[in-house]
Amino acid sequence: MSPPAAGTGSHRLRRLALFAAVLAVQFALFEAALRTWGSSEAAPSFQGLFEGDPVLGYRLRPGARTHFATSEFAADIAINGDGFRDDEELGPKAANERRVVLLGDSLVLSVQVDFGRTFGELLERRLNARGGPTRYRVVNAGVQGFGPIEEQLFFRRIVDRVSPDLVIVVLFVGNDAEEAVGSRPKLSGDSRGRAAAAGDSLITRVRRLVRRSMVLQILRLRIVAATDRVTPRMAPPEPPLQSYAAAPAPRIAEGLAIARRSIEDIAAVASRAGAPTMVALMPARFQVDDPDYQRLTQAVTQAGGELLRDGASERFDRALAELPLPRIDLLPALRRKLPGPDLFYQTTVHLTPRGHEVVAGALDAFVAEQWPLYRQEHPLTPR
Amino acid sequence: MVFNSLHFVWFFLVVYAAYRVLPHRAQNWLLLIASYYFYASWDWRFLGLLLASTLVDFSCALLLERAATPARRRTLLVVSLAFNLTQLGFFKYFNFFSDNLHTLFAALGWQLDFVTLRVLLPVGISFYTFVTMSYVIDVYRRETPATRNLLDFAVFVAFFPHLVAGPILRASTLLSQIARPRHVSRDQLRDGAWLIAWGYFQKVFVADNLASLANTVFEPGTTHTGVNVLLGLYAFAFQIYGDFAGYSNIARGTSKLMGIELIENFRFPYLVRTPQEFWRNWHISLSTWLRDYLYIPLGGSRGTEWQTRRNLFATMVLGGLWHGAAWTFVLWGVYQGALLIAYRAASTARAYRRLFVEASPLAKVATWALMFHLTCYGWLIFRSRSANQIATLTASLLTDFAPGSIETERLLIPLLLYSTPLLLVHACEAWFDDGLIVPKLSAGVRYSLYAATFYLTMLFGNFGGAEFIYFQF
Repeated sequence: MSPPAAGTGSHRLRRLALFAAVLAVQFALFEAALRTWGSSEAAPSFQGLFEGDPVLGYRLRPGARTHFATSEFAADIAINGDGFRDDEELGPKAANERRVVLLGDSLVLSVQVDFGRTFGELLERRLNARGGPTRYRVVNAGVQGFGPIEEQLFFRRIVDRVSPDLVIVVLFVGNDAEEAVGSRPKLSGDSRGRAAAAGDSLITRVRRLVRRSMVLQILRLRIVAATDRVTPRMAPPEPPLQSYAAAPAPRIAEGLAIARRSIEDIAAVASRAGAPTMVALMPARFQVDDPDYQRLTQAVTQAGGELLRDGASERFDRALAELPLPRIDLLPALRRKLPGPDLFYQTTVHLTPRGHEVVAGALDAFVAEQWPLYRQEHPLTPR
Repeated sequence: MVFNSLHFVWFFLVVYAAYRVLPHRAQNWLLLIASYYFYASWDWRFLGLLLASTLVDFSCALLLERAATPARRRTLLVVSLAFNLTQLGFFKYFNFFSDNLHTLFAALGWQLDFVTLRVLLPVGISFYTFVTMSYVIDVYRRETPATRNLLDFAVFVAFFPHLVAGPILRASTLLSQIARPRHVSRDQLRDGAWLIAWGYFQKVFVADNLASLANTVFEPGTTHTGVNVLLGLYAFAFQIYGDFAGYSNIARGTSKLMGIELIENFRFPYLVRTPQEFWRNWHISLSTWLRDYLYIPLGGSRGTEWQTRRNLFATMVLGGLWHGAAWTFVLWGVYQGALLIAYRAASTARAYRRLFVEASPLAKVATWALMFHLTCYGWLIFRSRSANQIATLTASLLTDFAPGSIETERLLIPLLLYSTPLLLVHACEAWFDDGLIVPKLSAGVRYSLYAATFYLTMLFGNFGGAEFIYFQF
């Protein structure tokens, strides 16, 4: 049979099929290459740090290890047998040991820096540096993507195993109100949350597919960047920025109320275990970084909105004011270190080693002053 | 409005949609308005210079053609050249000469109170003044008839694909195409689309990604080992090629889509074995301009050997100065002139035939490697900010050649990743001796290259919207 003549419909169709096949084969090759060598949170090596969880959706996989490197940072990550980021196992609690549990999201987990440079580990060293027979152990119970509800549920699960002497909930003011709203179905035992509520619609399935593919993720980001440039007026402010909007969406107030209830629950559970609870408010990068703030405020203004730089910190502060828990806003400590080396990475919203040092210093002073047990054991610590 | 901006993409889509439905004269009006809008998007104030250049040279050429006596013809030519060179000299070189004069007098102990005037460089002035000058000279030489159509001439000067960074076109190439109705063939659509895609690949995948590597090494005040300087030089060599050849390809591609053919500006310049070949293949429109309007009028190779060498040297020094008002560009011109003279001298040596004419494969590889590194050293002079930096980097290259640092790994791997795809296509084009071989390959190979270009550009391209290097010239 002779091949179809050039220019005929059949010929064009065969060419189109050939081109589609070439695109598909190369797609698979680039996907495989990116998954093997690409430095991204979508890479299997990074995703291997997590495993599914019927209640929380996912959690850190006990015993997982990886090296995570991007153009801006590189870090070794180890998850211990208890599912916390730590190079050592937690083990049984010694008589002279005091445990401080840090609950939070990726800002606590801190995959951007080596474990020894996280503010949790730095805080542990600072608490122990004052000497004395007591050994302080800070447990990094931060998990990427967790919000107040996941932290509440996670803490209930680990409280007996960890037997804490102090609990510090590190709230990221940038998105924790939004995440609290989104994760509410988990409180009723629905681990799939919003995704389940939305059902397996075509859009949901496409989104899942895009999320699973590194090639599609990058292409999606290119398209988003291009459309943002073309239609800045039509693009709404990013959801996390709603917490900073002069006139925020009603869900922000709702999210703040949910976050408050979650912290109340954590404090109640901790109290039953004999541990006080404290709250630390972590600011977003643009609250500290002027060029980042200018860029964002310009985008929000173009979209017809108004951005209050410290709006989310103030809203969380007000929402938690009714709770009888010691509270620290980390923003002033970070701002005091300006100008100076970067406190946050440019490609992520996470702390640099310098940022971790500043946060550890602020938390150390806060804990030393607000934790009665520590004051008792270190009476000379300045208040 | 740079080619690698979304602004340009929208601009071109709108202009092209209208272009395809309009008749010939209306197409020319559209091209003129679009080109002036394109130019004004940088700084509308400089539009006046472009208009002045267009009107003066259009009038001079018309009058020149009608002039009865040689003396009057010469006068009109001088008027046109003086206007163009004064404009170019003032806007491009005023700051350079006034600063150097000030420094010279200060060195002599005379503190002169100059009127401080900071002159802004209008984008593309070096390109469009050369275009209009070549037109008037061609009319003077009776090689091109003067056009009587101001619209056609204005489009010839301002045609947006080549306006700000070339290629530097002649009236015989472009004006004739603007004057007659154009038909867009299927081959032009196919080749034009590939040239645009390949041009964007060269710019955002190759040049803009390699820029950060080159910048690491050329950052003033930093010191690097010889290996790292060499890797930074390689990075800059591919960056400047990707940047400028990418621009030229996008210009050629967009023109082809409109049924207009522009000349090829680069032809495998890093695969050549002699300085002479390099200048026949690098920025072809500039080197042929310099040959036709400077080197040959100076006497070319018609006089004694010494005169030929003098003409070569003067042409290359002025060619260097054309690239920018800085001593490093002058030094680069001196270096290129010296290379050409040295090669010319070597061509009389006994070993010349064995190395260049009847060369064995090994001799070919050796002379290619030598030429590539000589070119790279030229880029060291070109990219450096000062003579001091040239000396520092040269010293590192010659005296501190210690490999194996972490920095080397950080430079080498991205350098290989970003330059290898370019070199593969480059080698394929050179093998077939056809800069447009890709669209002519079999469907399977062609589609593989199209898809790879798409994926590499979209997945790994740097979409920061960096300007093209040659805009500053």
